[in-house]
Amino acid sequence: MTKKALTVLLALAFGALALLVASCGSSSSQSAQKGGTLKVLDTAGGVDSLDPGYWYYQTDYQELGDTTQRWLYGWKPRETKPTPDLAEALPEVSNGDRTYTVKIKPGIKYSPPLQNRTVKAADVKYALERCFLPQVGNGYANVYYGDIEGVKAYQDGKAKDISGIETPDDTTLVINTTKPVGVLATGGALGMPCSIPVPKDYAQKYDEGKQSTYGEHQVFTGPYMIENDGKGKITGYKTGRKLTLVRNPSWDAKTDFKPANFDRIEIKGGNDATVAARQTLTGRDLLSGDYAAPPTPVLKQALSSRKDQIEVESSGGNRYISLNTTVKPLDNVNVRRAISAVIDRTALRQTRGGPTLGTPATHFLPIGIAGFEDAGGEKGPGFDFSSKPTANVPLAMDYMKKAGYKSGKYDGPPILTIADNESPAKETAQAFQSQVAKIGLKLQYREVPHATMLSKFCQVPKSNTAICPNLGWGADFFSAQSFIDPLFSGKNIVQSGNVNSAEVNDPALNRKIDKAKQITDPKAAAKAWGDLDKQITNQAYFIPWLWDNNVGLRSKNAVGVSSLFNSGSWDYAFSGLK
Amino acid sequence: MAGTELGFGPGAEIAARSPLELFWRRLRDDRVALAGAAFIVLLVLAAVLAPLLVKLVGTTGPNVQNPSELDSFGTPTGPSGAHPFGVDQLGRDLFARVLYGARVSLEVAIIATALSVAIGVVTGMIAGYFRGLVDTGLSRLVDVLLAFPILLLGIGLASACSLGNGCAGGLIKPGLSVVIFVIAFVNWTYIYRIIRGQVLSLREKEFVDAARSLGASDRRILFREILPNLVAPIIVYSTLVIPQNVLFEAALSFLGVGVQPPNASWGAMLADATQIFDSAWWYMVFPGTALLLTVLAFNLLGDGLHDALNPRAGKWSPRGK
Repeated sequence: MTKKALTVLLALAFGALALLVASCGSSSSQSAQKGGTLKVLDTAGGVDSLDPGYWYYQTDYQELGDTTQRWLYGWKPRETKPTPDLAEALPEVSNGDRTYTVKIKPGIKYSPPLQNRTVKAADVKYALERCFLPQVGNGYANVYYGDIEGVKAYQDGKAKDISGIETPDDTTLVINTTKPVGVLATGGALGMPCSIPVPKDYAQKYDEGKQSTYGEHQVFTGPYMIENDGKGKITGYKTGRKLTLVRNPSWDAKTDFKPANFDRIEIKGGNDATVAARQTLTGRDLLSGDYAAPPTPVLKQALSSRKDQIEVESSGGNRYISLNTTVKPLDNVNVRRAISAVIDRTALRQTRGGPTLGTPATHFLPIGIAGFEDAGGEKGPGFDFSSKPTANVPLAMDYMKKAGYKSGKYDGPPILTIADNESPAKETAQAFQSQVAKIGLKLQYREVPHATMLSKFCQVPKSNTAICPNLGWGADFFSAQSFIDPLFSGKNIVQSGNVNSAEVNDPALNRKIDKAKQITDPKAAAKAWGDLDKQITNQAYFIPWLWDNNVGLRSKNAVGVSSLFNSGSWDYAFSGLK
Repeated sequence: MAGTELGFGPGAEIAARSPLELFWRRLRDDRVALAGAAFIVLLVLAAVLAPLLVKLVGTTGPNVQNPSELDSFGTPTGPSGAHPFGVDQLGRDLFARVLYGARVSLEVAIIATALSVAIGVVTGMIAGYFRGLVDTGLSRLVDVLLAFPILLLGIGLASACSLGNGCAGGLIKPGLSVVIFVIAFVNWTYIYRIIRGQVLSLREKEFVDAARSLGASDRRILFREILPNLVAPIIVYSTLVIPQNVLFEAALSFLGVGVQPPNASWGAMLADATQIFDSAWWYMVFPGTALLLTVLAFNLLGDGLHDALNPRAGKWSPRGK
């Protein structure tokens, strides 16, 4: 993976993190009827971009990805394996795990003004290519598609297309890679929005210039489209204010696995979180939108009086405290273990709203990710410093003694700690601050805005930030690689946008990660990533403390179905009204 | 100073009263001002004796987190025997935090007021006494400072100095010193204007002329002749500017650029309380009431002092309204 790609991934993952929301629980698939208008109240900014090449965060997937477009591989709400959508079947793997062939369903049409044009393999090829264009701003192309033949030449401007992606006919897509790529073999990496077809002859004019404007002129393949004038100009979107989806006349229900019950989806932005959550619970036709959990008071009330209107689902993400291994005294593994032992994970979780919000973490990979069970499941790999949800002060002091602090307490200068200044993150950080005081850790503690925390401190090695208590990570397509490779491989340390905030650079670990990435057998891959998880947990580079839940809300007359793929948030294409 | 040399002899019924005596007699009759003063004395005592009071009441310290006082959702519990003011969302005792918050408020208010008064008096005297270019220069500078949106300036300075090792070579460090600096920097201008005006008229008085004709130096005239005549406005102004500074500190902390956690500050507590007000009213009510009463007490005392020291002058406010 190139540095640039890493940076992008980083940004991406944090975005996903920020949106982490979701849940546990089962889908409440009572009788959803066809028809009706779904209303959604957003509180954060809503979708980040209209461009499918950009989509990477929970809200992008929830409000546009699931509803308006068809991907090469889609995700049924309750499944962790991709379902062929535009594709006929999973990729055929050949040539020593280096060639992946995908057959595409014939006869799928675009929304107006291209209602007469069918989706061709070349459209997917162009979609993948444009994800590498800087003006599209994609966050993961290099991570997952970087090993495709000819990518480098294309990125350097030496080739007009990516030579490793071939389209022998209109329904066949062939991808050749320079080495085996596990995430292509499973279809997971092709179940990302970069696989949404983009007709080159129509889109290319919008992809020129500093920033692509294809998003505002795009053509849709999914059950819905953003309201438009029928000539390729979108009218149903105002940044952060409104997003209106209507039925796509070109969509053929017979070829799709989504029920798409609603006739219309109206999303209104800029609402107060408490008001939006209350209205969703007490109103009609509403499902929650771009927030991962309602404010605690609303959640508390709802859990006592409207329990059936709440859906709690594991989000497939985690929250962790990062310890910079290049800053004293955190360069000492026993100090890091001491911190892990002295942390009260249950008390940290209380700052976010208690047990509804997740499970205390005993290792890095979260629930639902392949490799989670291999690393020990909920019980964890059995290290004494990470296996208890509450604090173990004597053990922590033992580790401090092992690290050379005779009294069991730290006696050095204060340690630079940068926290988020928004609730509930700042409460978490302040709880952390008082917990580590038990082993004498004095913090030079600062609270700054979330963006500053990342862009000036936690992701910038030069800032010498020692501790970042408010970080987290979300998964892509249930892949353990998306957790471990960017965060722990020394190859991925960059000067800005650095997600390897512990600055781990262990050559043996780097080699092991590279090897795991090439495993195409899912079982063997899960085992390899699980082993890696044990190893990094033992080194206590990061202290994971919560496997997150997403909390979805619905009105009494709405039937919500939550999507495991998308961090447990509602899948509007599967939800409906009673 | 009491007594007289005018020869009425001991036991005389008519005695001249010294200015201090007059001042005290007038103030004594002003019950409202006295109530303000009493509250301030209590507040100062409470702040100084905070650790003792916390022990007496039997609650935990201001930074001790008691997760057991939170319900399973992490929302705080209200006033009880163990925690008379309830706890905050980290389970910290609010009684202790309100008391320690008084320490911060008074510390900031008094130091910042002393600083701004010192700067304002010195610059005001210089400008008023020397007039000319010095006066023009200083007065334009003050005009510029007064034209700044104060809170924005405060936020800007505070956030610029809140990172790393602070500004001005580490002199202004994140936390309290930033707040104090910002307040002093902004507030000296008001006293500057008042002092300058007073000096402009005082310097034309006969006693100054007399001193000058006796060959007194400018320094002597400024500090020995003029300054004693400025004591009354300085006292009154200081008392009236303290509540402003208390509020300003609260505002900066409310906005997150003031006192750094985990230290208690009324402003920061109010900011945190707004988010859970509908489920934890006590979190806002107690620090809010403390802030209200403190500001009110200082204002009442200031008004009383003003009336007592300067009975003929009309009311004035330090912001020149």
